[in-house]
Parts: sequence; C-alpha cells; structure tokens
Amino acid sequence: MRIPFPVGRALALHELRERTRDRWVLVISALFALLASAVGLYGRSAEGNVTAITGPSLVTLASLFVPLVALALGYDAIVGERERNTLGLLLSLPASRVEVVLAKFVGRGVALAAAVGVGLGGAMLAAAQGEARTLAALIGPTIALGLTFVSVGMLVSSLTSRQSTAASFVIALWFLLVFFYDLGLLALLVATDGAVGDGTIASLVVGNPTGLYRVTLLSALSGPSALPDLGLDVSLPSSTGRAALWLAWILGPLVLSGLVLSARRALR
Amino acid sequence: MQTLTIDDVTVRFGKVRALESFALELHAGQVVMLAGPNGAGKSTLIRVLLGLVSPDRGALRVDGRLVRVDRAFRNRLAYLPESVAFAESLTGREVVAFFASARGVARARVDEVLERVGLADARRRAVRGYSRGMRQRLGLAVALVAPSDLLILDEPTGGLDQDALSLLWSVLDEWRAAGRIVLLASHEIALLEHRVDRLALLSEGRRVAEGTPADLRRTAGLPLRVQLELDPAAPTRDALKAALGEMGAPRFDHDATHVELELEPHALVRLFELGAERRAAIRDLRVVAPPFDEVYRRLLSEAA
Repeated sequence: MRIPFPVGRALALHELRERTRDRWVLVISALFALLASAVGLYGRSAEGNVTAITGPSLVTLASLFVPLVALALGYDAIVGERERNTLGLLLSLPASRVEVVLAKFVGRGVALAAAVGVGLGGAMLAAAQGEARTLAALIGPTIALGLTFVSVGMLVSSLTSRQSTAASFVIALWFLLVFFYDLGLLALLVATDGAVGDGTIASLVVGNPTGLYRVTLLSALSGPSALPDLGLDVSLPSSTGRAALWLAWILGPLVLSGLVLSARRALR
Repeated sequence: MQTLTIDDVTVRFGKVRALESFALELHAGQVVMLAGPNGAGKSTLIRVLLGLVSPDRGALRVDGRLVRVDRAFRNRLAYLPESVAFAESLTGREVVAFFASARGVARARVDEVLERVGLADARRRAVRGYSRGMRQRLGLAVALVAPSDLLILDEPTGGLDQDALSLLWSVLDEWRAAGRIVLLASHEIALLEHRVDRLALLSEGRRVAEGTPADLRRTAGLPLRVQLELDPAAPTRDALKAALGEMGAPRFDHDATHVELELEPHALVRLFELGAERRAAIRDLRVVAPPFDEVYRRLLSEAA
C-alpha cells in the first residue's frame, strides 16, 4: 500500500526528533516547566484556590515563555536549512514546497505541544488536589498560543535570508507582542484621554494572540469581573469567534510562509 | 531514463544572465561534468534541474518527452549539494534514515549505504562529531540511499581524502555501469579529467565547449611538450639540433644534452621521422600532454 505524503510524514518526524535535541528549546522548556511547577507548589502551600493564584500566575508565565519557546522552534525552519545548504536537498525530494512547510510546522508544533504538556503537567502535579482539572483547561489555549508563534516564526524564517536576521526579528516580535503591545494600548488610551471606544480596545486586545490568550483565560479562571477589575471593560468574542481567531492566527502566517516559499523563483 | 535533454535554457536574474540558451544532452551510462569559473552558471543549471529555479525560457526532455520538474521527476533524481551540513544533533544513521523514509526506501538500505560509504562504525555518532570528509561521505550516503536515474553532484570532491576520493570514483563507475546518468559540477577539472566521459565548459552562462576530454584537448589545440635527451658523443647530434631548430624553438640546457620544445600535435610525425633518422643521437624522448587545466584556460580565453 502506498503511504500518502511520505516526504511530509518523514519530515515531520525528523523535525520533531531534531527539535527535541535543540538545546535552546530544551533549556527554555525546562525553565518553563520548573517555574510552572513552582507556581503550582506555591498555590498549594498558600492554600489559595486555583482561580485566585495558580491559574492567573500560570497564564502570565505561559504568555511569556510559550511564545519564546515557539519562536525558538520556528525561526530557523526555512532559513536554517538555507544556511546549512540543505534547503535545496530538502526541496529536491518528491514533495511540494507547501508540503515541506506544513511538515515542518507539524513536527515543530508537536514539539511545542510536548513542551507545554510537560510544563503545565508539572504545575498540575504540583498543584493541590482538585485544581488539576481546572488547570487542564489551560492546555488547549496555551498550545494554540504556541502554535501561533511557531507559525509566525516560520513566516519570519521564510522571509529572511540569514538565521541571525530571523533571530533578531523574532526577538523583536516577542518584545513587541508580549510586552510593548499592552503598553502601546495604555499609551493610546492616555493619549486620547479614553476617547477610544471599548469595542476598538477589545478588538485591539484580542487582535494580539498574547492578549487573546490572557483575557480569555483570565476571564475563564477568575470570572466575568476579572477583566473590569484590570480596567478592561471589554466583551470577549464568543467561543466560536475565539476559535476562528486562533485558527486565523495559526494558519495565516503558515499559509503566507508556504506562499512565500512557493513564489520564490530562485532558491538556493 | 536514457536521455535527458536540457534544451535552450535561459535564466536571468535582473540584468544578470545566469544561463543563456544553454543546451546539453545527457545519456545513460555517462558521467558528465560541468566546468567553469565561479558565476559561470553551473549551480544555476543544477538548480533548474532540481526545480529550485524556474527558467525564463527552455525545456527539459526525458527520452524526447517534455517534462516538468515535478514530484515524478524529482523522484528519479539524487542530489549531493556542495558543503552540505546536516543537523548536528542527529546521528549519521538518523540523517540517512530520514531521506530513506522520505523516498519510501526500506530501513535495511540505510545500514547498507552507510557501510558502502565507510560510515558503518560512525553511524550512531552525532553529526557534530564528524570530520569534513565524513560529512561529505554522509552526503553521498543520502544521495545513494534511494534508487535514482540521475545523480547530481555539486563539487563532490571538496574535503575528500584519498580513500573518500576512491569511494567517489567507484560510485561513478557503478552508476556508469548501471546505465544511469551522473551530472557533476566541479572546479577540479584536472582531478576529474579521467573520471568523466564528457565535459561541458560554461562561461558567463553560455556553453563554450562540450565533448569528451580528448575532444576538448583537440579543440584547445595546445602544443605538446617534447623532452629529448641527446647523446653528446653522437656524430649526428649537431644535425639533429639544427633539425629541431627548424621545427620549433628548442630550449637547451647548459651542455646542450637536454632539449625541450613545444610542438603542435600534427608535428609529432615529423619528430618521429627525425628520431628514426637520427636515432643514434637520441637517448630518450618523452611527449607530455599539457595539463588539463591549461586546456580549460585556453578554451575559456578563446571564448572570452
């Protein structure tokens, strides 16, 4: 029986194997697991409940670390092959360029999901009994956040011609989307003296995958008053809307990455 | 695949002509070399064959049929890039196993091919511990792991020691004997002269010469170097010296015993006649063909 997409399957497994030996990815993932477990332990010792301490702390932690792990996983996907002179070899295999991009994403995405699973799994094990189920609700959105940044990293990778340039870009993106974006929104509110409408602010918040992740989970963990307490009087998209936003964030950069690679008339 | 025809291929990058109306026919059982200076278009041609560059004009034909560089075509080719660098954290076996799996080749073939390239003992070591030559052997293993009709090698001799070169020569011989096509690009023209069946010389994207090494030597028309050792006591020596002077511009050493002169190939007959007539005066006679890199330079300068 002929196996469909043999190159894609082999490449996805190959990518996964390679990523699980990437020192940077391992170090950041281990640090995330360590800190997440510490948060779980702290929540347990403080005898607080998951909605008050463990959950929001893990959301904050994951929103910092997961994009970093994901960008580290994605940024060299294409440009790394080019620098190693293996892109031509890879693309000389009987597969389309889109298949190559997708396979790389799948392999790296599974590695990311494993890193998230280990990190949040550690927190769940360390947390008080009964909290684990609530914390398990974090896994899906955290993986979605990570896949988004893997996808963004891969887009950067297919647009750049040097690995160092791609690394600089993704670090700048990480700072921009994880730190400065919210500051920018605050600055916008201050500068306009609050004249910007709630709807606009809500769109801008959920327009950033990190913002979407934070507000969705904080609202789910701490209840409807969590966001107004933080000064964000915004209404969140429905669950379907949120799923659509995540899909757009994951697939958009990925499709663009495939298109960029396919449209290149000359590759080396 | 009996014949692969590269037909009138033109590739331009902006104002740069990477390939201009390039044509070449590759036949089964032949090793064909692309030679030329940097920027001549060798790598561009290889990238056209791999589907990494879309030509502005031209076509590829397999056994006379027009083909596109699609999955089916790529499934029939194997490729060794120049200075290939595989993932450092993977073992040699894992690298080859990936390419085997991607091409649907059985796992058993992986160890077989690693044995073939002399990496059996190093197969479980991470690539980061491989020397340059071992990496090149690993690249060769990747190229050989799946059955193919066309083997494309880009600068395959870089970093190879004598053992690895012997391995490469045996691979070329095997492919030739199996009736497959080998296309290689290299600067090592003198090293490969006796290993290839045909050469295509490129300059500024154009094919400036093509043929067997012997054909190219003839086309270049470089003089042969003739070295004679004369017998100082022979009575006919002076007559011989005078005859040599008529044939060319002989260079004598201080005691006029050793002579060197350059002759056009057609003048060899006259030299041998002279040798027969004045046999007593000649102790030794050697005819040396010019090194092939001189042939290469002559053909390039004529093209320029």
